[in-house]
Amino acid sequence: MAPKQKTFTVGWLYPDLMNIYGDRGNILTLLKRAEWRDYDARMLELGRGATKGMEDVDVFFFGGGQDREQALVYEDLLEHKQPPLERAVRSGAVVLAVCGGYQLLGHYYQTAEGERFPGIGLIDVRTEAGKKRFIGDVIVDIDTEMPGLVPRTLVGFENHSGRTFLGPEAAPMGRVRLGFGNNGSDGTEGCLQDGVVGTYLHGSLLPKNPHLADRLIRSALRRRGDDELSPLDDSAELSAHERILERAQRRLPARAPQERELRSSAAAEPREPS
Amino acid sequence: MMRRTAAVLAGKATGMLSRLSRRGGGTTLPGDVARAIDPDVLRKLARDLKFGSVVITGTNGKTTTARLISWLLEGAGHRVVSNRAGANLIFGATAAALESAGADGRLRADWGVFEIDEASLPKAVDEIQPKAVIVLNLFRDQLDRYGELESIAKRIESALERLPAGSRALLNADDPRVAEIGLDLPAPPLWLGIEDTSVAERDLPHAADARTCPRCGASLIFDAVYVGHDGVYRCPNKDFTRPAADITATNIQLDGFDNIAMTVGMRRAYSADRATETQAVKPDQRLELPLGGLYNCYNALAAYAAGVTIGLEPQYIAERLKNFRAAFGRQERMEFRGRHLNLVLSKNPAGFNETLRTAVDLAKGNSFLIALNDRKADGTDVSWIWDVDFERLKGKATVLVPAGSRAHDLAVRFKYAGIDAAPPEPDPGRALDALVKATPEGETAHLLTTYTAMLDLRAELVRRGWAKPYWET
Repeated sequence: MAPKQKTFTVGWLYPDLMNIYGDRGNILTLLKRAEWRDYDARMLELGRGATKGMEDVDVFFFGGGQDREQALVYEDLLEHKQPPLERAVRSGAVVLAVCGGYQLLGHYYQTAEGERFPGIGLIDVRTEAGKKRFIGDVIVDIDTEMPGLVPRTLVGFENHSGRTFLGPEAAPMGRVRLGFGNNGSDGTEGCLQDGVVGTYLHGSLLPKNPHLADRLIRSALRRRGDDELSPLDDSAELSAHERILERAQRRLPARAPQERELRSSAAAEPREPS
Repeated sequence: MMRRTAAVLAGKATGMLSRLSRRGGGTTLPGDVARAIDPDVLRKLARDLKFGSVVITGTNGKTTTARLISWLLEGAGHRVVSNRAGANLIFGATAAALESAGADGRLRADWGVFEIDEASLPKAVDEIQPKAVIVLNLFRDQLDRYGELESIAKRIESALERLPAGSRALLNADDPRVAEIGLDLPAPPLWLGIEDTSVAERDLPHAADARTCPRCGASLIFDAVYVGHDGVYRCPNKDFTRPAADITATNIQLDGFDNIAMTVGMRRAYSADRATETQAVKPDQRLELPLGGLYNCYNALAAYAAGVTIGLEPQYIAERLKNFRAAFGRQERMEFRGRHLNLVLSKNPAGFNETLRTAVDLAKGNSFLIALNDRKADGTDVSWIWDVDFERLKGKATVLVPAGSRAHDLAVRFKYAGIDAAPPEPDPGRALDALVKATPEGETAHLLTTYTAMLDLRAELVRRGWAKPYWET
C-alpha cells in the first residue's frame, strides 16, 4: 500500500477582499510546487470570521487590498486572526505578506494626517503614508539573510504609497537595484523576521521567483522534519525572471552603470542585518 | 470666435499631417494642439451639435457601445461625430469634433457619440453637456495607471451629479459598484440589466471586485453571475440589492463569436427631455446582431436603451442592428492561408474571462494565440494575468502560443494552469507564423490580445496584406 500522502496547506487570508494585485499567482505557485513534489496541496480560505483550521496551515498568504476592503479586514484581523496567527508563527508556520498585508502585520500605519492605525505587531516594521506613489518594475539584490537562494535577485512590480521602515528585529530581504522598495530612501526591500516575509513586490511575486517560493515551502515543512524538496524544472519561471533583468539592464540610463556595479558588489558582501 | 477658429484650424492641420506622415490616424494629437490654443474648444463645438451627445463610460465595452449607437443614428440619416479609434480621453473627443468641423470653426453635425475614459468623465460631462451618459461596468483594470476602483467610481459619481437638467444617466443595475453610484443621484437613472439565469455562471470569477455591501460592509450574495462581478446580488443584511431594471434583456441566445439574440423589454420608458417624459412602456423587442459573447449583450442593451432614450423607434433599432459591424480589433475576422483568424481585444481580467468563455465554450475554439504587452496603454503591471481563468483552456486548447512583450510571463501562467503551450514568442511575426503553422487549414484560430499587442499584430497583418490599416476601417 502506498504511504499516506503528506499534506501541505496554504491559508489565504481574506481571499475575497485582499486580492488586488493578482495575488492568486502566489497561491497557485505554492500549491503547484507542493503538488509537483507529491504533496496533497490544499488551500484554506480564511475570510472574515474564519479561524477554523489555522493551526494546520503551513504557509499563510496575506495580500493587498483596496482602501475600502482593507478597512473591512482591519477589525477582523485584530478580533479573530491575531492570536491564532501568532501561535502558528511560533510553531514554525510561514507567512508571506504583500503590500497591504505587509503593512497590517507591522506596528502601525500612520496616515498623512498623522493618525495611527495599529497593526498586529507580528513584525518589527512601521509604515507611514507618503505623498508620491511608487509604481513600477522592481529588481532586488538578495541580502545574505537568505543564503543559498539562486539566483540572487528577486523581480516584481510595486504600487504603493506607504513608506515602511524596519526596526532592529527585522532584516531586509535585499536592496533595490531598480525601483523604490520599502520606503524609497534606505534602499531596502521587504523584511524577514522569524517565519514572516513581508514585501511590496507583486507581479505576482512567486511565479517568477521560484527560488523564494521553495524557500517558503521548505521553511514551513521544516517543523515537520521534512525539508528536503526535490528539484523541479524551473526553466520557464527563470527565463521570465531573466527577461525582466535583461530589460532593466537595457532601460537603465547609460550614465548609471558605475553606480549599479557598486550596488551589486555591495549586496554580495556579508552584511549585518540593518 | 477668432480663437476658436484658430484652434480648429490648427487642430485639423495637425490631424492631416499626422495621417499623411502615417504616424497613425491622428486620433488625439489634433485635440492636444487645439486645446492649447483654446481650452474651451470642445465646449464650443459640442454646442454646435444639432441634437446633442451621448457619452459612454465604463471599464469594458465603451468602443463597441459607442459604435453601436453611431450605427443606429447614422442609419436614421443623422450626421454623427464620434471618437472612433478608441481615443477616449478628452483630447480624443476634441480631435473627433475637430475633424468634423468646417473651416469656419463650426461643427456641422446632428449628434455626438463619445466614449470617455472613466477618469476623464467629469471634464467630459462638463464640456460636452450630454443628453445621456451610459455607465457600462466597473472592473479592475490597469491599477498602475487608473488607481483603485473606488476612486474611479467616485469620479463617475461626481460627474453624474453634475449632469445638466434633461440629461439622463443609464446605469448597469447588474454591476454592484455602478449601482452604488446610482443610489444617491439627484435625478433617477434608467437601470439596465440582464434577466436570464440560463446564461449565468455559478461562481464569481477570481477577479471579482465590489463584493461588499456599500452600507454595512457584508460580503454580497450572488444569486447569478453574468460577466465579472455583474449579476444578481444582495446584501445578507438586506441593506443593498440589485436595483429593479427598467430595461431588461431576457431569453438570450449566444452563438459563438457570430451572433447574439435577446429580447429587450421596457418596464419604464423615458425620453431624455424630462419635460416630455413618457411613461409609455414599449412592447418587447427581439434583437439579433452579429457580435459574440454575453458581454456584448450588455453593449447591445445599452445601445438600445440609449437609442430609445433619444427618440429612435425600437423596431428600427432591431432592424438596423442586424447588419452591425464590430469596431476595429474588438472582434475582427481575417483569412490567412486558409485559416480563419479571429482577433479579439482582451485587456483586463473581466474582459479576458469573457472572451475566453466565448472562444472556448461557445465557439468551441482549440487554437489560440494570447498576446500580452506591458506598455503604458496596456498597463505596465501584468500581475492581473493571474486573475484570468486561463484554466478554462485546459484540455481544450490544442494550439496555444504565448505572445507579446511579456510572452514569458504568459508561459509561466499557462504552466501553472496546467496547460501545454508553445514556447513564448515575443516577436509578432514569428508568433503569427507559429500559430498558423500549428493550426490546420480550414480551422479558426482565436487571437486574444491586450491593446498594444493587438496594434502590433495588426500592423504585421497589414504588412502582410491580410488586414486594412485602422484609419480605413
